[in-house]
Amino acid sequence: MIKVTSLTKSYGLVSAVNDVSFEAASGQVTALLGPNGAGKSTILRILSTIIDPDTGSATLGGFDVSTHTTDVRRQIGVLPHNTGIYDRLTAIENIRYFGNLQQVEPTLLNRRVDELVHLLDMGEFCNRRVSGFSQGQKMKVALARALVHDPQYILLDEPTNGLDVMATRALRKVIHNIKAAGKCILFSSHVMQEVGNLCDHLVILGHGRHKFSGTIEALEEKSGTEDLEDAFIMISSEGAPDQ
Amino acid sequence: MNPFLTVLAKECTDNIRDYRSVFSSLSVALLGPLLVVGLLIFVLDKTLRDYEEPIAFTLIGAEHAPGLVAYLRANNTQVDQREPVEDPSTLIELGEAEIILVIQPNYGERYTDGLQNQLALFFDSSSYSSGRRDLATLDRLIERYSDTIGTLRLRYRGIQPGLIRPIQTRKIDVSSPADRALMIFSSIPYLLMLVIFTGCFYLAIDATAGERERGSLEPLLTQPISRFQLVLGKVIAAAAFSLLNLIVFLISLYFALQLVPFESIGMSLELNLLQLIMIIAITSPLTLFAASLLTIVSAFSKSYKEAQTYLSFVIIIPTLPLIITQIVGIEPSLGSMFVPSLGQSILISQIIKGEAVSYINILLSVCATLSITLLLLIQAVKMYQREQFVK
Repeated sequence: MIKVTSLTKSYGLVSAVNDVSFEAASGQVTALLGPNGAGKSTILRILSTIIDPDTGSATLGGFDVSTHTTDVRRQIGVLPHNTGIYDRLTAIENIRYFGNLQQVEPTLLNRRVDELVHLLDMGEFCNRRVSGFSQGQKMKVALARALVHDPQYILLDEPTNGLDVMATRALRKVIHNIKAAGKCILFSSHVMQEVGNLCDHLVILGHGRHKFSGTIEALEEKSGTEDLEDAFIMISSEGAPDQ
Repeated sequence: MNPFLTVLAKECTDNIRDYRSVFSSLSVALLGPLLVVGLLIFVLDKTLRDYEEPIAFTLIGAEHAPGLVAYLRANNTQVDQREPVEDPSTLIELGEAEIILVIQPNYGERYTDGLQNQLALFFDSSSYSSGRRDLATLDRLIERYSDTIGTLRLRYRGIQPGLIRPIQTRKIDVSSPADRALMIFSSIPYLLMLVIFTGCFYLAIDATAGERERGSLEPLLTQPISRFQLVLGKVIAAAAFSLLNLIVFLISLYFALQLVPFESIGMSLELNLLQLIMIIAITSPLTLFAASLLTIVSAFSKSYKEAQTYLSFVIIIPTLPLIITQIVGIEPSLGSMFVPSLGQSILISQIIKGEAVSYINILLSVCATLSITLLLLIQAVKMYQREQFVK
């Protein structure tokens, strides 16, 4: 389980995240929703041990991100928003690099790589160098790299950004797959529609503050509309200084 | 596999595939020695020619002074005799002659009467190049002839020649072609520093500033590897390419030196295997130093471009101690062994010149450079630990 408690983070005078608390359970897909600048990336970066929170805490499987950094790092798989893979390495080399850094045992690593290549349908391009890959292919490589050590917690930062329908479908299939394996998946998005058929649980942020936690049904009930987009806009801008 | 080795292997693979940068840094290492040797061959050739080539000049009125002409001919000259012309300077203007010595018809008469003869020496100081040496030598020859005659005349009259010439200097040039060759060799330490720094230049930028700019640093930092191992992997990968560059440079130097006709100047200068290994041993700590320094600077820069700009300046730094000591004229001392790049340069110069090298100095230089490198490494790790680093 991912547990975020009263998390606060500022960059200089700008408050990015302000007293946010939520939980994300294992065997579930949790969506972190919010308009641009709502603090989604900051929370994901705190959870992936890139930055430290100012106050509050975040734990993954009981390990605190600030104090048990290495334990957390062994359990997370991170898909950054711009994929961040190496152009001059092949797809497989990219995946194996992180597998080795996670110190996955060699025979197991070979098996994992084969599985992921199959699961993400990368057979055609897995031995080619990444330079020149399409956005969808790059996303697959980055996702495989994030999953290579079979992490319990999977953090995806706007995973569908720039993907076409085919690639989005492939991604959805993989997310369902790892959910079925009992993993805890947390992904951020600013597109309400794609969330509907993907997630079990919603966390909506607005201006760095927590606005809503619950299922889609609960959201519809709270906002009094069945249109998810309307509900999203209503909830996320609630109490905003400029509204 | 140890995470440090994983990073090291990945950075090396990544950099090798960047053919352009690898090629451009290797080309410095390959071509540097050829440049030095080319210069060396040119200078040697010129020096040898100066020693052997006869003095060429045009002579008008040779028949009036057979004694002088015979003396000149006997002293390695190449005389081009001509009929008298009205204005000898036109010959120079037309390019038919570079130096013209004119002897007047009344030379013999005045000579016999014991009067002074004025000989005109035409030349164009703005145009001739090789003639400068010829002119000075010819002038000196005539003067010496004149002195000899004068001395004989005084003696004949029972007067001590020292009476009219109380002081005479005697110039003894002890420089040899070999010394000039060694002077050119003193540029090799500079080149070595440059080669070491350009060797890790691209990898240092790419593995730090480049990685951050492409957004691959962030996922890398979520991996369970200590920052120290991460930085060490990157620094050692960069140092490995510096070492590669250094070895390529020395191999290139070794073969380039075979082209120099050292025997023609009576000197045997060859780098043997032992000397090459010593140079590598002395300079290899410097590859780590260079890699750490460049990694810090590129970690400090905000973008790839900025890193490139800074590093182009940083590359000059290792040559500064060498230049400053040459300008100020600090004697190579024990203290200079503590300065990275300076200590190594002094030691390399000594090895190349075949002088005895103190093992204590080598040890001091290696230890000092490695200690400073360790401090730089710690600083680099600290920079990687800061959270502002990924931004």
